[in-house]
Amino acid sequence: MIQNVFYFLCFLTLISGSMVVFSRNPVYSVLFLILTFFSISGHYILLNAQFLAAVNIIVYAGAIMVLFLFVIMFLNLNKENETHKSNLSKFAAVIAGGILLVIMVAALKDVDAGTYKAEGFDSQIGMVQNLGMVLFKNYLLPFELASVLFLVAMAGAVMLGKKETGERHF
Amino acid sequence: MTSIILLSVFGIINLFLGFLKSNKILLPAVIIFLAIVFGVNFLDWNNPQSHFNNMLTIDNFAVAFSAVMVLSLALILPFSRSYINSGNPHLAEFYSILMFSLVGAIMMVSYENIIMLFLGIEILSIAMYVMAGSHKKELRSNEAALKYLLMGSFATGILLFGFALIYGASGSFNIAEIASFSSNTTATDLLPMMEIGVLLVLVGICFKIGAAPFHFWTPDVYEGTPTLFTTYMSTVVKTAGIAAFYKLVWAVFPGLNEFWYPTLVAITVLTLVIGNIGAAIQTSFKRMMAYSSIAHAGYLLIALTSFNDYSENAVLFYALSYTVATVAAFGVLKLVSDQREGETYEMFNGLGRTNPLLAFAMTVAMCSLASIPLTGGFFAKFFIFGSAIEAGAVWLVVVAILMSAVSIYYYFRVVMAMYMKEPVGEKVAVDGFAAFMLIFLSIFTFIMGIFPGWFNNWL
Repeated sequence: MIQNVFYFLCFLTLISGSMVVFSRNPVYSVLFLILTFFSISGHYILLNAQFLAAVNIIVYAGAIMVLFLFVIMFLNLNKENETHKSNLSKFAAVIAGGILLVIMVAALKDVDAGTYKAEGFDSQIGMVQNLGMVLFKNYLLPFELASVLFLVAMAGAVMLGKKETGERHF
Repeated sequence: MTSIILLSVFGIINLFLGFLKSNKILLPAVIIFLAIVFGVNFLDWNNPQSHFNNMLTIDNFAVAFSAVMVLSLALILPFSRSYINSGNPHLAEFYSILMFSLVGAIMMVSYENIIMLFLGIEILSIAMYVMAGSHKKELRSNEAALKYLLMGSFATGILLFGFALIYGASGSFNIAEIASFSSNTTATDLLPMMEIGVLLVLVGICFKIGAAPFHFWTPDVYEGTPTLFTTYMSTVVKTAGIAAFYKLVWAVFPGLNEFWYPTLVAITVLTLVIGNIGAAIQTSFKRMMAYSSIAHAGYLLIALTSFNDYSENAVLFYALSYTVATVAAFGVLKLVSDQREGETYEMFNGLGRTNPLLAFAMTVAMCSLASIPLTGGFFAKFFIFGSAIEAGAVWLVVVAILMSAVSIYYYFRVVMAMYMKEPVGEKVAVDGFAAFMLIFLSIFTFIMGIFPGWFNNWL
């Protein structure tokens, strides 16, 4: 049963992931990306990471994707007017990406990642409480220093977005 | 650790200082803040300790490289006079973002956990994306910011994928545990996963330091970014990236060195050749400096391929001498290009007659970058090549020396333009602080060239 769910989720993730790349209309791409995030959240639940699954849906499928949609609609990119790329660059991209794929497959097919052992399994491991313990004990410093990252991004966004004297009014 | 806290706090204080009516106080305040951080940083000298569950280790390596980076920011900022005079409304934000980005840079040289490295790289990169686009009304600056952001995010994605695979293989983010996993030859089941991770991390970091063949963003971004921040990119970002890379290959992946060594050597040779040949065919001085920074990344990578008693000190000495010379060169470029509109070699014509001081400082900087004896750059390359020969990579040194010979051609083009061509414009006005800094940088270059021992056995 669980295995069938896993294969179904994999199928859904791969199909919607490739549709993000292949669909010509950017709005469809974003919608398929939302589907991808939902199916990845399904994987998280299978891995017993409930909190991560919820956060993934709230933050990515909720907030970030809405932002993507807004930007695409504001910029009016939903016309099918992709810039034409030369065949040479398409060819080079296919070869480069293909080589990476071959190397990944060749290396990872030999990997023996071990199997699932029921006796050593802690069902509480993905709960918010345990996550909080790890985050605020072991990983306190990166957690706090992430605020510097946000401060830089915020100060930068305000600086770049603020209207200066003599600038054009839209 | 204290320096990270102090820099964050001072950055916030500096944001608030921006509310004052006059922006004259900002530059002295930042210089004082940086001086305090520079001093406090040395309290941890010879007193290695790790903080917060082994997230961060402040050892002599971290202290020395932090000192170089704080010093370079303090050397760069005096050239921001034109921003103060033009009443730029975002001056406080500029200074604060640069100080916050130093937090990221210090994290990159003192990490004990891969998460800290990643966070440090991101803090530094995001600050740089903003600074690249800080000249909002100029199209080149917008282009630089967009290019840097898009390519940088892509490289970050590759880097993160690499870290994820390494975590998946070794089961830990702690660098000591990753190192013990990678040197443990019995656990071969997960080794291919680890190796792919190492390769992807190599790609990501090489992008960040601008090593070939991941250098394509460098010329465009360096050219479009306002000169002050280009200086910061080619000194602090490069120093932090190389130090992080050094620690990564020798403290995190030492067990796999037979695996990544050929890749790294190939990248080094490519970087040396592409950087130097690329610089030789440029017509814009700023683009030439961009390619020259690629070339110098190549020399620094030589030290990375050789791990012995000399290589750590060689990297530190090289970073310091390269920083001093680059700040002087970009400082003169900024002063001249603010008044003569343009960044080509022709702009420097006759500078030796109109502004002897600027021409002298530029000549010293170029000599140092081309590693002429009596300047810091000579001993920088001497130590790097010495450590490479000690490690047995003689052919690598031969390639590097050939490429240094090429570099003399393009560095001396600007010297010839300054002293042997007719002046193209008026005397360039130089404020007192910038003139003092240029004299200081020239003297510092000579001191490094005449008494290299003072700077060479810290670590």
